[in-house]
Amino acid sequence: MTAGTAVLHILVFPGFLFLAVLGLAGEFVDRKLYARFQNRVGPPWFQPLADFVKLLGKENVVPEEADRPIFKLAPVFALAAVLAAFLYIPLWGPKSLLPFDGDLIVVLYLLLIPTVTFFLGGWTSSSVFATLGALRAITQVFAYEIPLFVALLAPALLANTWSISGIVHYYSAHPALWPVNLIGLCVAMVTLLGKLERVPFDIPEAETEIVAGSFTEYSGRRLAFFRLAVDCEAIVAVSLVAAIFLPFGLGLAPWAGVLLYLAKVLFLLAVLALLRTLFARLRIDQMIAFCWKVMAPIAFLQILINLVVRELI
Amino acid sequence: MSLVHRVVRWGQRKSPWILHFNTGACNACDIEIIAALTPRFDLERFGVLLKGTPRHCDIMACSGPVTLQIESRIRRIYEQVPEPKLVVAVGTCATSGGVFDGLYNVKSGIDKVIPVAAYIPGCPASPQAIIDGFAKLLKTLEEGK
Repeated sequence: MTAGTAVLHILVFPGFLFLAVLGLAGEFVDRKLYARFQNRVGPPWFQPLADFVKLLGKENVVPEEADRPIFKLAPVFALAAVLAAFLYIPLWGPKSLLPFDGDLIVVLYLLLIPTVTFFLGGWTSSSVFATLGALRAITQVFAYEIPLFVALLAPALLANTWSISGIVHYYSAHPALWPVNLIGLCVAMVTLLGKLERVPFDIPEAETEIVAGSFTEYSGRRLAFFRLAVDCEAIVAVSLVAAIFLPFGLGLAPWAGVLLYLAKVLFLLAVLALLRTLFARLRIDQMIAFCWKVMAPIAFLQILINLVVRELI
Repeated sequence: MSLVHRVVRWGQRKSPWILHFNTGACNACDIEIIAALTPRFDLERFGVLLKGTPRHCDIMACSGPVTLQIESRIRRIYEQVPEPKLVVAVGTCATSGGVFDGLYNVKSGIDKVIPVAAYIPGCPASPQAIIDGFAKLLKTLEEGK
């Protein structure tokens, strides 16, 4: 790969521009479906773009008490980590852009960085609401991250590889085996709501209790980049779930593969929107109890099933 | 206007996030503002979202006469909103002080304290009137006034 194509990959496809467009489209799909589920008309298609452009044009306020470098850099790090994670996920082909053994672990940790920046951004802005939101964000991580990791690692155990491209390759070769991971898919989708801080796990930014959580003091450009990072994180996480749990139809012609990939993403986004419409916000202790007492055992059950299946075949 | 300027203007017109601030109202106008945001009227059609923090908002929807106690607070909240910002006075009390004008503990309408861009009279202002007021205010942005 020459330097020119590398820059093209990072900035345009499948890097920044592609992911940003997909992220904004994903936010629109989510908000529109949410509105339709509530019998509303919902926002027009350009709404996420209008929000982004408007926030770019607004004044940037930095609180006097804030730790300036971290406060300013947090949104950039959030977006950069999400972008980096996207390069390791196979989209419609059987291979990602930069596959290597162990990229599943790297992607999981890269997807953890946005949550850490929410914590740092909220903590350093030294507002009471932001500090509370930051602490809740970091408390929530310890609850949803374990079931999510276990659910995503179970298919890897069956495929006997730590590389996402390897997992995709294995399940393409053994198409009868991917339904084994359906329990893991359910656990991953539920815990993803925690990672993306959506209802019922939007405890860190609960706007009816703590204003806007970690983002309370953010305004203008920095808020725009935080929002874009969250949108892109949703797309990256959903693509990861689609690659690991729905690895079928990857040998198709490019245009059919793209359409199938978009259909998978749309389906998973619709499921997330439906879950967010159905439930109301939990308290932080209820959320942690749910993740540890219900989600984690189910995720470990998936590991057990996969170990048994691996012995049988 | 340059192209960038026009695009940002478009964004401001299409995505007005509001902050709901009670400056001493009897709660009737507040209920009507919340009613305008419910699925029945669905202000998200116009990109309106209700935000909890002044840092995120573009339009302050204030209801009620400014009481002496709220006067310093409304100034501070107004200063916390990043530019460009607009203030909408919802209800008769917010526009002029209404029946509370001249009371010992009331300062009068909101425009005596902070600049107001639009007035929506009514006691209380109905959701239809509030939506109409917002639509007219956004229309003036289009004409670049």
